[in-house]
Amino acid sequence: MSAADDTDLLAAELALGLLDQAEADSARDRLRHDSIFAHAHARWQAYAAGLAANLAAVPPPHVWSAIEAALPANDDLHTSLRLWRGGAIAASLLVLLLGVRDLQHARMSVMPAPVVAMHPAPLVAVLSGKQGAVSVNFDPASGRLASAVSGVDAGPRAVELWVIPADGHPRSLGVLSQDRPGWRVAPALAGHALQPGVTLAVSLEPAGGSPTGLPTGPVILTGKLAVAG
Amino acid sequence: MAETPDTSLEQALDAVANGDRNAFEIVYQRTSVKLFGVALRILPERQEAEEVLQEVYLSVWRRAGAFDPARGTAMTWLITLARNRALDRLRASRRRPSDPIELAGDVADPEPDAETQALAHDEATRIAWCLDRLDGDDARLIRTAFFEGASYSDLASRAARPLGTIKSRIRRALIRLKECLA
Repeated sequence: MSAADDTDLLAAELALGLLDQAEADSARDRLRHDSIFAHAHARWQAYAAGLAANLAAVPPPHVWSAIEAALPANDDLHTSLRLWRGGAIAASLLVLLLGVRDLQHARMSVMPAPVVAMHPAPLVAVLSGKQGAVSVNFDPASGRLASAVSGVDAGPRAVELWVIPADGHPRSLGVLSQDRPGWRVAPALAGHALQPGVTLAVSLEPAGGSPTGLPTGPVILTGKLAVAG
Repeated sequence: MAETPDTSLEQALDAVANGDRNAFEIVYQRTSVKLFGVALRILPERQEAEEVLQEVYLSVWRRAGAFDPARGTAMTWLITLARNRALDRLRASRRRPSDPIELAGDVADPEPDAETQALAHDEATRIAWCLDRLDGDDARLIRTAFFEGASYSDLASRAARPLGTIKSRIRRALIRLKECLA
């Protein structure tokens, strides 16, 4: 077999994924400085793509909604999503630290506290995006968080509400019911972050909610919490 | 950009590289059925395939400028991207297929049908047609490599054959495939 045949075979093997990691790495290296090899590889990639000739499946509409929602139209959101992902480890550490602090805080708060004369005003937010909306009402006095979802096609996925405080680390406020309004007592840690001006976001997560404690799916809606009235 | 029947995928990708969202939607509409098919072939779990599809298009949005028409068609670029992303996901999940490959020893159709061959005009149909001309086992090994990320050594262990045997039979098949495609 000639050297040219060998080159062509190696290009085929690389394009089809037949090589071991080390061989593939060195072949990819060769792509950069051997134009004949690169040309043969491009041709085999086209052949290999032809293996998909008979494959077709219509993706459900929510895939496109999620892609659109993640485009830079929602710029702030996009950046914060990247930050969340990039800082996932740091964020979990921080959540751990805050969690510890919060436990201590919780222990302190069973001590008699001065009676607050003024009832703090409820906070509200309407979260919007490409499709649908979520309204949120938080009563700081009782810690009750009421929400209603409308027009969101989440498919089989869960709609999860997050608060993103100034530190940029999202905290879950739980999975929202898609078919009827609901309320819950805000989780302590996230509840502390529910202040006027804070950003709320809704992401699509696997059924049952994010398995990691941080958003894993696309963010589809955002809004800011404001004092009602 | 506004879509006309003449708008090529290459033109649409070029516009996406300049941040054109309409063009991006055109690319999605024209290619997502194929790419979802690829993702589902590699990741049979629908939700994973959907997530990979999302990742693929977000990286198309960000990296459309990296598409080089001199190195192949837009469709090849997109299929390669989808396949690589799906395989990355498969590897990360540590659920790589490892089921045995039974080599049945079936024999290829020795008489290529000239009429079908004439119909197989584009590359995609051509390769399918040429694969059909191969020994069925060889075609299966090649598809398994491409869609399951199986290297020569993975194929050898799954087919319970010596590495050298698998390598030389696939190489012979690749040479026949090349002749057929030429």
